[in-house]
Amino acid sequence: MRFSRRSHAEPEKHSDNLPSRALLWLIASFGLLLTPQTDRLPVWLILVCIVLAGWRWLAQQGRVRLPGRLLRTGIMLALIAVYLVQVRGSFTVDTAASFFVLTVGLKWLETRTARDFYVLFYILVYLATVNFLFHQEIHWALVNVGAIALLLIGLQVLNAPELPGGIKAGWRRLGVMLLKVLPIVVLLFVFFPRMEPLWSVPLVSGQARSGISDTMRPGDISSLAQSSERAFRVTFGGPMPEHRDRYWRGLILDTLDKGTWRQSGYEPYRRPGRVNVDGGVGELQPREYDVLMEPTDQRWAFALENSLAVSDNVVKEEDDLFRFRRPADSAVRYRLALGDSAGQVSQSLKANEARRYLQLPASGNPRARALAEELRQSSDDMGVVRTLLNRFREQPYFYTLRPPRMPNDGIDSLLFDEMRGFCAHYAGAATFVLRSAGIPARVVVGYQGGESGAGNEYLVIRQYDAHAWVEAWIEGRGWIRIDPTAAIAPSRIESGLREAVAEEGSFLENSWASAQRYGNVTAIRWVSQQLDRINYQWQRWVVGYQGQSQLDLMSRLPGGFGMKELGYLTAGIVGVGLLVAGLISALQIRRGARRDPYGRVLAAWYQLCDRAGVPVRSGETPTALASRLAGAEPGVADSARLFARMVNSHYYKAPSRAGEGAQNSDDELKRLRRLLSTMKRQLRRAGKQQPGTSGFNAHSGKHSD
Amino acid sequence: MNRLIRSRWQRWINRRIPRSDVHLLTQKNLFILPTAAGSVFGMLLLIMLLTGINYQNSLIYLITFLLGAVFVGAMHQTHRNLSGLQLTLVQAGEGFAGDDIQFRLRAAAGKDDAIAITLSEDDTWVRLGHVPAGQSVDVALPVASVFRGYLRPDSIRIETRFPFGLLKAWSWMRPVSAAVVFPRPIAAPDVVSTVDDGDQTASSRSPEGNDHAELRPWREGDMSQRVMWKRFARSGQMVVADWEADKGSPHWLDFNAFSGTDHELRLSYLSWLVIERSKAGTRFGLNLPGQVIEPDAGSTHANRCLRALAVWGEEKPRDATATAHGSRKGTDNLKANTVVSGART
Repeated sequence: MRFSRRSHAEPEKHSDNLPSRALLWLIASFGLLLTPQTDRLPVWLILVCIVLAGWRWLAQQGRVRLPGRLLRTGIMLALIAVYLVQVRGSFTVDTAASFFVLTVGLKWLETRTARDFYVLFYILVYLATVNFLFHQEIHWALVNVGAIALLLIGLQVLNAPELPGGIKAGWRRLGVMLLKVLPIVVLLFVFFPRMEPLWSVPLVSGQARSGISDTMRPGDISSLAQSSERAFRVTFGGPMPEHRDRYWRGLILDTLDKGTWRQSGYEPYRRPGRVNVDGGVGELQPREYDVLMEPTDQRWAFALENSLAVSDNVVKEEDDLFRFRRPADSAVRYRLALGDSAGQVSQSLKANEARRYLQLPASGNPRARALAEELRQSSDDMGVVRTLLNRFREQPYFYTLRPPRMPNDGIDSLLFDEMRGFCAHYAGAATFVLRSAGIPARVVVGYQGGESGAGNEYLVIRQYDAHAWVEAWIEGRGWIRIDPTAAIAPSRIESGLREAVAEEGSFLENSWASAQRYGNVTAIRWVSQQLDRINYQWQRWVVGYQGQSQLDLMSRLPGGFGMKELGYLTAGIVGVGLLVAGLISALQIRRGARRDPYGRVLAAWYQLCDRAGVPVRSGETPTALASRLAGAEPGVADSARLFARMVNSHYYKAPSRAGEGAQNSDDELKRLRRLLSTMKRQLRRAGKQQPGTSGFNAHSGKHSD
Repeated sequence: MNRLIRSRWQRWINRRIPRSDVHLLTQKNLFILPTAAGSVFGMLLLIMLLTGINYQNSLIYLITFLLGAVFVGAMHQTHRNLSGLQLTLVQAGEGFAGDDIQFRLRAAAGKDDAIAITLSEDDTWVRLGHVPAGQSVDVALPVASVFRGYLRPDSIRIETRFPFGLLKAWSWMRPVSAAVVFPRPIAAPDVVSTVDDGDQTASSRSPEGNDHAELRPWREGDMSQRVMWKRFARSGQMVVADWEADKGSPHWLDFNAFSGTDHELRLSYLSWLVIERSKAGTRFGLNLPGQVIEPDAGSTHANRCLRALAVWGEEKPRDATATAHGSRKGTDNLKANTVVSGART
């Protein structure tokens, strides 16, 4: 297809109609880029985007018209108004990203020219960038890169509507290009200096994430138990602790208020610091462990009992809790070490702390209070604890994911009537009884257990491992862990939730698509473990490759690399990369020239003519040159004419078939070369006969062959 | 200042790309720069890098580097698209002033495919499309003409933006051959065809029967019948008589017939007459100062006459460095102004 047109604009800008196929790729890319956002975006926004892109596509097909300016402005204002109402003035990165998606959607109504196409290309690329803020898993990374590849194919179609070789050639071209530049990309990724953020950027989405929260109602954690989402993964420097010892403490709930346990007072406000997702660096020491936590938007970090902070992005606070310096709005890696279990017994509880841990509502649950009274009278603090646990162990209490509703005096009905509950119920009830008996106690929320990842290299803790237990203050022994669940359903603590509720069959009963639900099927288990391993390595080494890890890696290189050296190195890589690429292409071109032997013979002949005082004029045919040469040097006239004729017949003959042509042209070449040397000889002879008359003579000394 | 830079640049280009009808695109004469879209893309990469730095997001770094590298890769691809391509001016066409004159060009790809190539001259352009490696494609590029004479565009721009439109690689071909632009036909006044309609022997008529004769010295191309041989015998000077009566002849289209009119306008009249006669299929000859074409008929003859009209008084552009001939870029010379006002009515 070929057409010509006159215009005063640049040729490319003039095309009013975008090629449909190019647009299709753009729309496909948009669809792909929306998928990582689906869990985050409001439904109406996704629908609006689908409708707008569909509208554009139908308009391309000619079935509907694109809206005029008035209607377009109306739609735009209406949608922005709806958006503003939805957002209600809360400005976060999350809402900004939603707004960005909305603008992309609106832009569809305005894609008429190639320029609009490029604008869409830019904003879609940036949408992929924004996606990376929210999802860093390997499959989402692949989705984003794939969407960008679709965009690049779309650009190819835009620039060459009759894309030669079809889309397949386009993909191949793109693939080859990506493969060629991959080494440079990897080098840049490794060596580009990771700077401190230029300004501080809060990324808290304000969107609820699944995970434990800072309040606990009976029933909260059991709903969490239906989620198989990953909470965090741990790699141990030494041997993995036993399943029953893996109590990951997250936060402490110390206030009971209308049946809900909560933290007393809010977390103190801290200015959001620099983003710092670096864990510790270097090899894990035997007692150390690395945690890679999924984003929670919270400050709390999970740690085994008696841990110490190693990496500097977590701080140990009172009550043995760990907190991040800024909310974990993206996956965070941190490093802790197991401390000595003995030794750090605090002498006594301060008065305000005792008050805090003995707080109870003024009334309610009379039977539980009576039970506490009874226990109190019979023995000391330790005895009360032991008796309470024995009661849980001996009486027919059940551990269930389907607890009955206990609206009034929930603790009473759990302890004496229903006797069926989940860890949160029992932890709350046990704390209540202990406090009634005058023993300071608190509910601890976190995770318990965890499953080995592929090859037992690391531990995966999922949301269904969420757990609640009790800590009580015993004079002389400090805070001790009391887990009523361990007394009621030892299998929960020994081997996890799956075993504990196996009889009931309620494990992940609502999430039928989760691979964990079918964990008993070996193949599925294996596949999901392998996938998780890939993702874990991806997150540890690629996503988590940040300032500290980079400097750590660099410090292992000889010479001790600092930030400045890294900068130089990056500049060097870019420079050398460009240079190498340039050299390669120059070599290719040189080789291409060498591949045309006729061209070389011809060039040699031109040189010869030049020396003979007949320089070739631009655009001159070989025949014309030959006759001029014949005029200047009659001695070579015949050879020159024959040479020119042969060259002509080579360049202007009909293309012959490949096989026989090769043999022919070899012979021809030989003859051409022979003619060339004949001419040289003749010229030399002519030069000797009449010295001084030909320009050739002056150079003949240099020319010995 | 700007103008100085531009002329310097032009001179540098002209040195780099000598005039030739065969133009092989190599590293020496190929230029590559980002397009406007490419510059914006560069800014986008910068913004992405900033985002990556501020959110300490490794994957954003990664995607930024990837796209940056794709940009560099595209540079090579775009360059290779044109490099090795050979552009040959196969035929410079003919046409009437004010029309687009077709320049037939042949593009032969080297060892790489040439994809999405555009040829352009001033403000006309033609899309060449795809030239597979080792093959060639012919294309006609229309070049706007303004006045009659030789038409040679200063440069034909060959450009590609493939694959992504972020970069453009281009070169200029500076052809040697020129097209011939016939004078724009303008209906000639009636006087010519009505006068002396009955006389069939104008060509062989003897000079004696004429009263209004203009005497002028002999010029090359004057017919021997018109030489005043008697006078030659007397004084030894070759003198030619131009007879007013000649214009009345239907066989002869005479430049001198339209006395008092502008030369270019006369040529336009003659051009119109040639077309008319040629359409009617009658025999006619053409008498131009310095050139006479004997009466004949047929399209070849008409074409010959038109060519003669086109290049009358014009120098064929031969020099390798001269600027454009006849294209719009050359309109700043004096001749163009007068002719355009006369010819475009």
